[in-house]
Amino acid sequence: MIERHWKRKRLAILMAALCAAIFVFGTRLRAAADDFPIYFPDSRIVVKSEALNRTTYLPIVDIIQNLGLPYTDALALETITIRSGASRLVATRNRALISINDQIVLLQNPILRESNRWLVPIEFLTQGLTRLTGTPFRYRAGAPRIFAGDVRAPELVMNAQDLGPVTRLTIRTGVPVNLDVQHDDQNNRAIVRIDQAPVDPLRERIDQKDRLVNSIVFDDTDGEPKIVLETTDEAGEIRVTPSDGNQLFFVDVLRRAAQITEAAPPANVPAPRIDAPSPERRVRVIVIDPGHGGMDSGTTGPAAAEKDLTLTMARRLRTVLQNQLGATVLLTRDSDIALDNEARSAVANNNQANVFVSLHVGYSANKTDSGASLFIMPDNFGGGAGTGEPPGGMFLPWYLGYRTNRQASSRIAALFQEELTKAVPGWRFPVRKAPLGVLASATMPAIVLEMGNVNNSTNSQTLMDNAFQSRIASALVSAIQRFSEPQTPAAN
Amino acid sequence: MAKRIKAGLIALGIGSAVAFGFFVDVVGRIQSMVNDTETADNPFTPPVEPLYAPTDPPMTVKLFFPPGAGPAGPAAGDVLLTTEDQTIFQSAELANRALQILQKLQEGPASPDMLPALPENTRVEELFISEDGIAIIDFTNTISTNHPGGILNEQATIYSVVNSITYNLPGIQQVKILIGGTEKETLAGHCMLLLPLAMDLSITDVTSPAEPPVQQLLQP
Ligand SMILES: [Zn+2]
Repeated sequence: MIERHWKRKRLAILMAALCAAIFVFGTRLRAAADDFPIYFPDSRIVVKSEALNRTTYLPIVDIIQNLGLPYTDALALETITIRSGASRLVATRNRALISINDQIVLLQNPILRESNRWLVPIEFLTQGLTRLTGTPFRYRAGAPRIFAGDVRAPELVMNAQDLGPVTRLTIRTGVPVNLDVQHDDQNNRAIVRIDQAPVDPLRERIDQKDRLVNSIVFDDTDGEPKIVLETTDEAGEIRVTPSDGNQLFFVDVLRRAAQITEAAPPANVPAPRIDAPSPERRVRVIVIDPGHGGMDSGTTGPAAAEKDLTLTMARRLRTVLQNQLGATVLLTRDSDIALDNEARSAVANNNQANVFVSLHVGYSANKTDSGASLFIMPDNFGGGAGTGEPPGGMFLPWYLGYRTNRQASSRIAALFQEELTKAVPGWRFPVRKAPLGVLASATMPAIVLEMGNVNNSTNSQTLMDNAFQSRIASALVSAIQRFSEPQTPAAN
Repeated sequence: MAKRIKAGLIALGIGSAVAFGFFVDVVGRIQSMVNDTETADNPFTPPVEPLYAPTDPPMTVKLFFPPGAGPAGPAAGDVLLTTEDQTIFQSAELANRALQILQKLQEGPASPDMLPALPENTRVEELFISEDGIAIIDFTNTISTNHPGGILNEQATIYSVVNSITYNLPGIQQVKILIGGTEKETLAGHCMLLLPLAMDLSITDVTSPAEPPVQQLLQP
C-alpha cells in the first residue's frame, strides 16, 4: 500500500517537472523555422531563421553566444547590449536604428523581440556585428546563409538546358571538387552532393521545368552543400561528366528507356546572329524591364495602370527587336508579378545583357500634360568625386555597378533621344539624371525610358496603340544599331 | 479514495509547475532590471520642443518646391524644383532648424506658382543628425502611400527635402530618408533611398552657388 502510494507520488512529481519544462521552454518551440547556416573559417553553426514581415530574422543570442561575446539583455529598457573588446553595440526593440560605440547605424528592418527571443534582420550581422567585431559577415541578397571572416567559399554557378532527350545541368565551382549523385527513382529525386563546404551559389534555384526535370534547388541548410533535382516520371539515368580539372561538371538527366548513343558533347554555345562590328559593342542580348508589377501598380490614371502599360509595351518591343536585330531579348517579367529593383537589374547582369532598358510611364496632375524622359544615373551617386575608382578598390559595391558603363549609358541615351525625337514628332525626350534603383547595379549600358502621362487618357491610349509602339520599337532598333557600329571619331 | 489522491496529486503537480514557471519568469525580469544600469544612456535622443526660443534671431531660408503646371511645369521644362524664400529661427540645435525647415515644406509654398512637394498628410516622425553630418529623417508612411508616382514627381519630393535641408544648413551634407520607421528601397518604386543623398542643384533653377550658404548662416 505504501509502496503504491510512493509510485503515484513519483509519477506526480515527474508530471510536474514535465509541465514546468513545457511552461518554461514551450514558447521557444512554437514558431516554425528554417535552418540557416553560418560558416566561420573553421566551424559552422546552423540557427533557426524565421520569416517575419517577409524578412529573414535570426536569433542573435544563439550567434553571439557562439562567438563568445558578452551581452546584456535589459528587458525593462527593451534593449540588448553586445560587447566585443572595448566596443559596444546597443539595439532597441522594434527599432531599425542601432548604435555602435555611440554611432548610429541604420538597418532596413527593425530589431524584434518575440517569444522571449531577440530576432535580428540579416543586415544586423553584415552591418552591425561586422563593425562591432571587425570580423566581416558576408551575405548574398536572398541567400539563406552567411559567411563570417575569411572563410573560403568558392562560387558555384549552375545552369540548366533542355537539350531534348537530355536535360543538362552545368555546375562550375572554380575549385576542384568531387560530386556524388544519388538518384532515388521511386521518389523522382536526385541529390548531387558536393564535397566542398561551404560553397557560395550565385543562384539558389534554377527555374527549369521541362519533360525531365521539375526543379533544381541548391540546399545547404544542414551545412552540407548539395543540389536537389526533382525529376519527372520520364527521367531515367543520370550521368556526370567532369571537365576542366574537376571544376566543371555536366550532370545529364536522360530520358527513361530512350536509345541515346551518347550525351552530346558539352559545347552548346548559341552563335550570335548579327555580325559584330567590334567585339565590345555587339549587342547580342537585350533585357527589357517592364516597370512595376503585382501589388506595385506604379502610377495609375483613369484609363490604365503603369504596370500594365509597361508590360504591353515591353512585349511589343521584344518581338520587334528580336525580329529586326536578331538579338536575344529577355523581359525581367512576363506576367503581373512584383520584383524589386535589384532583381530586375540582376536579370540583365546574370544574362550578360549588352543593353538594359527599363520602361515606365509618368504622371502629371495636369491631365493635358504629356511628355517623356530618358534617365541615366547621376555621375557621383554612391560617393566619390564622380571620376576615378569607386571606394573599396577591387571590390565594387553592388549599387555602384552602373559605374562600369557610365559613358556607354550616356552614349546610348543620346542615341535613343535622337531616334525617338525623330520617330515621335512633337515629343521631347530630354536625358535626365536620377539615382534610380533599377539602374544602380546594372553592369551594362542601361537607361530608363519614361513615356507619357497616365493621368492623360488620350496619352494612355496612344501608348497602347500598335502603330505608336511600332514607331518606338523602330526607333530603339535604329538606336541600338547605331550603338553597335564602331565609333569613328569626328570622321564622316 | 485512490482516485481522489491521484487527481489531487495531478492538480498539485500542475499548480506547482505553473508556479515554478512564473517564478523563473519573475527572476528573469528582476535579473534584467538589475543589469539595466549600464545601458541607461539611450543613444537615440530626439530634438526637444520647442523648436526655437523667443530670443533666437530669424534667418532666411530657400525652400525647394516643384514649379506649377503650365509652360514651366515639370513635364515641359527641365527644372524640377524652384525656390521660395521663407523665414525660420536660428535655434541653437541644428536638428531644430532642420525640423523648422521640414515644417515649412509640409505647409507648402506660399506662392501660387509652385506646388507642394510632400504628399498629403505627410509628417516627420523623427529626425536625428549623425556626427558625420547626415540628417536621418523618418517620414510617415503617407509620403509613400499618398504619392502619385512617376519618376519626376518622386525625384521632386525627395530632392525638395534633401536640397532644402542641405542648402540652408551647412552642418548637414547628406540626408537619409526613412519611411514609417524603417529603411525603404525606394519612395515610389524608382529613386533609391538606401544611401544618404547629397544636394543636387542640377534639377533646380538655382544656377550658381553665388551665395554660399555658409556666409548666409554667419550673417548677424
Ligand atoms: Zn514607374
